[in-house]
Amino acid sequence: MIRLTIDGQEVSVPEGTMIADAAAKLGIDVPVYCYHEALGPLGACRMCLVQVEKMPKLATACTTAVSEGMVVHTSNPQVDKGRKGVLEFLLINHPLDCPVCDKGGECFLQDYTFQYGPPAGRFQEPKIQKVKDGPINEFVLVDQERCVLCQRCVRYMGEYVGEPQLLLEGRGVETVVTTVDGQPATSQFAGNVIDLCPVGALLSVPYHHKARPWNIERQESICTLCPVGCTTLATGRDGHVVRVEGRPVPDYSWGWLCDRGRFGFDFAVNPARVTASWLDGHEEAAARTTRQVGQWLSQVAQEQGGDHIAMVVGGLHSTEEAYQLKRFAEDVLKTRRLAVSRDVPGYLPRALNGTFADLDAADAVVLIGSDPYDAVPVVHLRLRDRKRHAPSTQIWGVAPRNLHRETLPVNTLVTHAGFEAAVMAAALKRVAGTHEAVARLTADLVDSVEADPAQLEALGQELISSQHLTLLWDGQESDVESVLVALATVRGDKPTRVLPTWGPSNWRGFERAGFSARIEDLTRILEDARDGKIAMLMLFGADLLREYPDQELVRQAYDKVPFLIAEGLFPPMDAERFRAILPQAGPSEVYGTYVNMEGRLQVASPSVQPPGQARPVKSYITAWAHALKTSFTLPEDWDPYDDESGDLVPAEPMPTAVRAVSMPVQEAGELELVTGPLVVEDGIPSDILKPRIPEYPGRLSPEDAARMGIENHGLVRLTRQGQSIEVAVAVDAAMTPGRIFVPLGMVQSPVNKIGSGVVEAVRLEEVHSA
Amino acid sequence: MLDGIKAIAKGLGTTFKALTEPRDTYPYPEKRREYSPRYRGKHMLAKDADGHELCVGCGLCEAVCPAHAIRVVAAEAPSDKPVSWTNRYSIDYEVDLIRCIFCGMCEEACPTNAVRLTPFNELAAYDREAMIADKEELLRPAIRK
Repeated sequence: MIRLTIDGQEVSVPEGTMIADAAAKLGIDVPVYCYHEALGPLGACRMCLVQVEKMPKLATACTTAVSEGMVVHTSNPQVDKGRKGVLEFLLINHPLDCPVCDKGGECFLQDYTFQYGPPAGRFQEPKIQKVKDGPINEFVLVDQERCVLCQRCVRYMGEYVGEPQLLLEGRGVETVVTTVDGQPATSQFAGNVIDLCPVGALLSVPYHHKARPWNIERQESICTLCPVGCTTLATGRDGHVVRVEGRPVPDYSWGWLCDRGRFGFDFAVNPARVTASWLDGHEEAAARTTRQVGQWLSQVAQEQGGDHIAMVVGGLHSTEEAYQLKRFAEDVLKTRRLAVSRDVPGYLPRALNGTFADLDAADAVVLIGSDPYDAVPVVHLRLRDRKRHAPSTQIWGVAPRNLHRETLPVNTLVTHAGFEAAVMAAALKRVAGTHEAVARLTADLVDSVEADPAQLEALGQELISSQHLTLLWDGQESDVESVLVALATVRGDKPTRVLPTWGPSNWRGFERAGFSARIEDLTRILEDARDGKIAMLMLFGADLLREYPDQELVRQAYDKVPFLIAEGLFPPMDAERFRAILPQAGPSEVYGTYVNMEGRLQVASPSVQPPGQARPVKSYITAWAHALKTSFTLPEDWDPYDDESGDLVPAEPMPTAVRAVSMPVQEAGELELVTGPLVVEDGIPSDILKPRIPEYPGRLSPEDAARMGIENHGLVRLTRQGQSIEVAVAVDAAMTPGRIFVPLGMVQSPVNKIGSGVVEAVRLEEVHSA
Repeated sequence: MLDGIKAIAKGLGTTFKALTEPRDTYPYPEKRREYSPRYRGKHMLAKDADGHELCVGCGLCEAVCPAHAIRVVAAEAPSDKPVSWTNRYSIDYEVDLIRCIFCGMCEEACPTNAVRLTPFNELAAYDREAMIADKEELLRPAIRK
């Protein structure tokens, strides 16, 4: 530790700390533009000048490391004069168009000019004119005249994200921030430069000219569109959310968001959203539909018993809402048929669930089927950050397609579809075959797992000998659960932590509220429904036809259930089959706690009112309890937070039972269908994001495309076990030959209709409507 | 008796004296007083010489208004159809003249000198709705007859 004095206060900080951070520790504000802790020192803007005793000139606080006995003055006439001079220079070519600038009122250039700047500039000559409101991409605008050339955006895209799509062009006063060759930036992290820009140079297109800092309502919220659960600030104006920003949380997150989360907020005002209600095919006031559903509920409960009612929760519901449903189901309806909507069969025991801190501490990361860039984008950034700071971190992939990306090198062991668990188990068997848990795990395993023995050996070594192992798992194969339990048992005290990357984003919260998140319980409900044992199926935010892995079973179940009821933001697939559809109040409209993939509880405060007749779940169940003539009071004091585990879901004992991995059978065929989540295709529409939603979401390797006669993109029909779907595919050079990737949950290409595995693919002629 | 006549004569004397004195009141509305050009009456939104609106919808008037009488909604104008002198303009600008206390702080805050208080002060209406001056109304400043 090094001791130094800043403005007469003594502070001790670790070696290598910059003066700006040491001052921040004392609560002394040193003005900065270019410096950002995540990006490291640069010293481009010269705004952070401070006086260090025994140094001949003013020093920049963001690039000068502390030294023993240093005496720093952050505010004296000399420093003020220095800052005044820097600001006068920064403002020489600044257009001073604050009244039309979106940043006006929350701009560091304004703030520092008021605090330190000169009252007037002495520069009389005409200002240099540059591009105003030029596009960076569909979502980001650049105003080059307002730029102070701090280079935060350029460095963020180049160094942090690894997609160098922004650069500085020109020399001297002509220097501008622009995109490479004038092409739009395609990175899904490009939106973060809006938050990073300290001045009004990089602006959000959806928020352009929309509001000013003093006429908005800014609430701390949570992005619920993927399991990462990024911390956000939702800006509401006139009853609509108009902007979402990242919210940095000290020692937890930098506040990065992906474009899906940053610009996908407009689902709340999408015309497809249910804001009234539907009763037997016609639009009806929500109150009337609620009453009718209440009558049906009481009819079913009296004639057949409450156990003939099943509830499935999913979508963007909060933990509290799930708890209220659970109480209503158990106390009033007396049914135990409760489940969480799931789109993959895997389940992760709570005891194995890791946190993001495990990513930051890992010396080995294994991605089981999961492509973080597509499924959990901000985790991809975290992984990249880890790899940058600790280049020795090993990143492995075990997946049916190559997970390697230029921004994150992944050593992928490409398996056949459905072979991930078997390959993991085989790798474990090679290095720890004598361990009891591994022996049990691999009891049914035949030795013919197709994989390179050397790679298998290396993966096994990594799994066993790494000091801190963190895994990401996409849940496609339920057998992986036992592999993970066995792995944790073999590794003993060395941390083995897993982050699940599947949806619904709040599934762990539903589990906290008392729902079972295992797919077996959902399957049992659907089978019972198919067998005619369920009279009423209530879906809360769940769209089973789109989500559940076996679409045929859902269809059969729907056919047999007399009362199909849905509540949600959007009408479920095959909406005409539902007797009643009720509107849901979403996140940013009701207070709610959401649990992310770490098992962390995070609170989202409402910033707007729910639109139309949308109400929280609570008002529906209160009405239904009334219809059932039951005195039912919701326990108001239930709190998802636990006394001991703080903001994490309570810990559970480590499971020890290891089931043997079943040996998958390799079907014969040239092309295997693999699937996984893609955040822009998660079924929640957004008009703003439309330019980013791929027209050809499927991915095919150039080799397979050439074989099928597809040049850049085309339409293919995939047939498997007598069922077929049509998918628009694009050629992707990074795709593994012999595999075709189709995202989960697309309505037009429901991959859950055919499941993953070997498919027959036929190219179809594309019909373009004129 | 004599005292009574005296008193009446005195009273009438005052009355007749006042008849010839100059008047302090005006026979409104036939005759109207001249106001100082600095008088703070109803608002107006000014245009520049090219006919473009000066208001860019920055909302500073809204922020500074102590009576919360102003509401501004800004928008971006298409580049071929400019409304104001820049691409940002106010699509909605309302002043609630019942709330307004005519302090003139909006005028003072306006960076483009768009909102101005005119000497027009004949503000009356049959309902409250009519007392909310919208943008159309403010762009055509009322003139006293």
